[in-house]
Amino acid sequence: MSSDREANLLRVLTHTSWRFYTCFGMLSAVALWGLYGYILQLRHGLIVTGMRDQISWGLYISNFVFFTGISYGGTLISAILRVTDSGWRHPITRLSEAITVFALCVGGPMVIIDLGRPDRMGYLFIHGRIQSAILWDVIAVSTYLAGCALYLYLPMIPDLALLSEMKELAPWRRKLYRTLAFGWSDSAAERHLLEKCISRMAILMIMLAVSVHTVVSWIFAMTLRPGWNSSIFGPYFVMGAIYSGTAAVVLSMYILLRVLHLEDYLKPVHFRNLGLLLVTFALLYLYFTINEYLTSVYKVEAPDRVLLHQLFFGDYAVMMWVTQAMFIAVPLLMIAGVLALKRLRRFTPSVVALASVLIVLGAGAKRYLIVVPTLTAPFLPKTNRGDIPFNPPLPFDWVHYRPTWVEWSITLGGSAAFLLMYMLFTKLFPMVSIWETRHDEAQVEPAVAPTPQPAPQRLGSIATTTIVLIACLLLGAGHARADQKRQAKQPEATTLSMEWKQVATPPPTNDGAEQAQPSAGEGSGVDRFYGRLFGWLPVESKDHTESLPPTFVVTATLRGAKGQPLAYQVVGLSLKTSFGKLDYGSRPTDAEGKAEFSLQDRRYGQYPVEGTYDGGAEFAAAQAVTSVDFGPRPEPSLPSQGVLITPYATAWIGLPFLGFFGLVWLVFIYIGVYLLWFRLPQVRKQQTKAT
Amino acid sequence: MSTSRRDFFRSLGGGALVASLATAEGAAAQVFHHVLPARSIAPTNQKWVMVIDLAKCDGCGKCTKACNAMHFVPPMQQWIRVYEVLENPEAGPYYMARPCMHCDNPPCVRGCPVGATFKRTDGLVMMDQDRCIGCRNCIAQCPYGARSFNWSEPPHTPEELSHKYSMEEGWPHRKGVVEKCDFCPDMLRAGKLTACADACTMGAVYCGDEYEDAVTNSKGETIQLSQVTKKGAGFRLLEELGTEPRVYYLPPVNRKYAAPGEPKSS
Ligand code: SF4
Ligand code: SF4
Repeated sequence: MSSDREANLLRVLTHTSWRFYTCFGMLSAVALWGLYGYILQLRHGLIVTGMRDQISWGLYISNFVFFTGISYGGTLISAILRVTDSGWRHPITRLSEAITVFALCVGGPMVIIDLGRPDRMGYLFIHGRIQSAILWDVIAVSTYLAGCALYLYLPMIPDLALLSEMKELAPWRRKLYRTLAFGWSDSAAERHLLEKCISRMAILMIMLAVSVHTVVSWIFAMTLRPGWNSSIFGPYFVMGAIYSGTAAVVLSMYILLRVLHLEDYLKPVHFRNLGLLLVTFALLYLYFTINEYLTSVYKVEAPDRVLLHQLFFGDYAVMMWVTQAMFIAVPLLMIAGVLALKRLRRFTPSVVALASVLIVLGAGAKRYLIVVPTLTAPFLPKTNRGDIPFNPPLPFDWVHYRPTWVEWSITLGGSAAFLLMYMLFTKLFPMVSIWETRHDEAQVEPAVAPTPQPAPQRLGSIATTTIVLIACLLLGAGHARADQKRQAKQPEATTLSMEWKQVATPPPTNDGAEQAQPSAGEGSGVDRFYGRLFGWLPVESKDHTESLPPTFVVTATLRGAKGQPLAYQVVGLSLKTSFGKLDYGSRPTDAEGKAEFSLQDRRYGQYPVEGTYDGGAEFAAAQAVTSVDFGPRPEPSLPSQGVLITPYATAWIGLPFLGFFGLVWLVFIYIGVYLLWFRLPQVRKQQTKAT
Repeated sequence: MSTSRRDFFRSLGGGALVASLATAEGAAAQVFHHVLPARSIAPTNQKWVMVIDLAKCDGCGKCTKACNAMHFVPPMQQWIRVYEVLENPEAGPYYMARPCMHCDNPPCVRGCPVGATFKRTDGLVMMDQDRCIGCRNCIAQCPYGARSFNWSEPPHTPEELSHKYSMEEGWPHRKGVVEKCDFCPDMLRAGKLTACADACTMGAVYCGDEYEDAVTNSKGETIQLSQVTKKGAGFRLLEELGTEPRVYYLPPVNRKYAAPGEPKSS
């Protein structure tokens, strides 16, 4: 029943050549070497890497971005091409979906490798803060990995059933396949159901992949760093991911073609079509790159200037220009040339594959160029220039980054692990979807199932999450008690008595009145909602820095021994704080012996205020203290800067994530549990009953 | 088909739905409650600020030395760092000490995935080395370069190790976590100046309580916060980023020291 080409395809499952073992052994050695590097890093800490305080993210993070990018290939080929119902995709779906899963299996752990305390990873779940882009990544990437695994598995079910019948295979393998195949009996109803599952997953995977690569870009775009602080990063990363992912698919196609001799499946048309896609993506990526750099080159903001100089002429210039050539220009010319010129057409597979090698390498370099140079151009560098005692500039390698051999080992080890997983996969499962290619001519159900889109969240009434900052100011009517000190010496004794009262703060000027107007109008609507959410507006206009502080008038009265007021004497005033004395200067008394100090300070609580009279030849010195009550301190609260800095999240941050990723998980469960586990046996039973 | 689907949901759903709603509500109460956790509430109702007078800072670096000594700061780290600012040759160079700004809208707090760095009601941005997972997102986020990472196990002294770790002091130090200036809150509460302010012989560093509207330096000079920031044209570093730092700078006018590059005699 199976044709020649299928026999050829399945031979790899039963026959293993020495070449496989050699490759496997070599790659295992590399992977183990990477593991050794990681153990070393665990033992000594991240000091074994080239990262330091100035450049605190390096190769690991760029690997993470690179591998998640590569993983886009599978989704693109199988999901997008499935949705657009491109028939030629059938032989290449399996191999590209496998890339997705294994690239994520390597990319995800790169972040863990980068952690200083991997032992505390669980805190991400126990203490996770949804406001952090890192947590978004954790949610997005794990959802994506689960989805990709499901999406790799679903179209494999019929093939697994097929394999479980193969006599050549060892019994344990056949048992494995039989378990995984869920008792698939290949009836029309089952097929119909499976097609339904796959087409729904396809649409979901496209949404998910776009969101994941955007979220990955947000770890960078959500910072205040020149070079990362860019709104183009989301689409830029998605584009880069599709581009490098497609190249990875081409590459694996070419290798499988050469190694497994799949000429019957992988035809030049596949290389041609993917080559066309690559050309499109290269042009799009060029467009994004120009957008990204030209906008900052034109404006040359001060911090950007350092970065651009580094990139175009400085430390990273060589790498930058080589990368641009390798990633965009050369592949573009190569593929365009081979596709356009008739005479070269027969070299299409090799040339497109060669261009893909350049693209994949270029993608890695490009990721590095996104992550590292920005960190060399911060607003405030980690080190100072001159020689400041006790504060020497940091040594050269603390401010310049060069990946160490440990980082390279782990990177290579990771890549080797990726290849190993891929190789093992080719040994366990057929790399080309048999049932889909077998029924190439048969009708493939157009995948226009209703898109499961997140239902727009209905906003409820606006939740007020405010913390009241300030209570009313109390009018204290305390009496000042004069501390009397008599001095029986030559100079006439004096007494200083103090009293204070709060007076109405002078009416705000016109400016103030005008400012108050809109702030009253702010009190309603969308403005206020978003203002509160992100801290664009203060939580309450009662914020203690907003209104004018009340005015307190402290009067010191100076009298002589007989109680007569002393005029034209200098009286000083000071206020005792927890750390020292705040001096309010001094002032002459008037005819009634009074010196008035008017304090309009932003101060809360009770403070001893001291009046001093230094005395002189005629009159003795005097002092008096009164305790002025400036009103109660505001309630303890966090600054009114919105929920992004609070230890709790609000529904408005949590719900979109819960909504989108929760919905995705629901669809996974719907497909995996309901359709596959519950409906499939039912359909099968009905079918057998009918026949 | 539709009946079987309903059956499925009825059989699976029913109890599970009730149970999951109950747990969801519990979880929502955990996640979305707006009560500040105990660690976010400072022991006292004060709001710490710092004022650094650039006219007085002569770049001697004594603040760094005192801070390093008091906190046993690991080598290669400086929680308060002195920079030479030579941005514009016409505007004249000056020295600038940079602690953590304890921003009121702190990007580092926004970015921390586990709440290891968090804002407290006394205005401080705390750093909990018992919780930090070492992702270094906060280093990427901080525009002031105020954070450092323990790349390896820091060298220890017996004195340092004998101490029990507390967030307010930030030592003993350990590998794989982020550290930064903590504003010495334990000392401030006791009415003592921070290590850097205390060590500054020029009296350039003032600290105090915002609610008292006064800050004090090592010479005992107390100045009024609202006056110096208004009349003294106090500014905050990188104000345009909206981080709302709690450290104010007074402009380097009529400097009282030899600026970087100038002969020391003046
Ligand atoms: S200066 Fe940096 S570390 Fe300090 S609070 Fe601001 S952002 Fe955070
Ligand atoms: S390194 Fe530590 S403090 Fe910084 S963001 Fe990560 S977990 Fe938070």
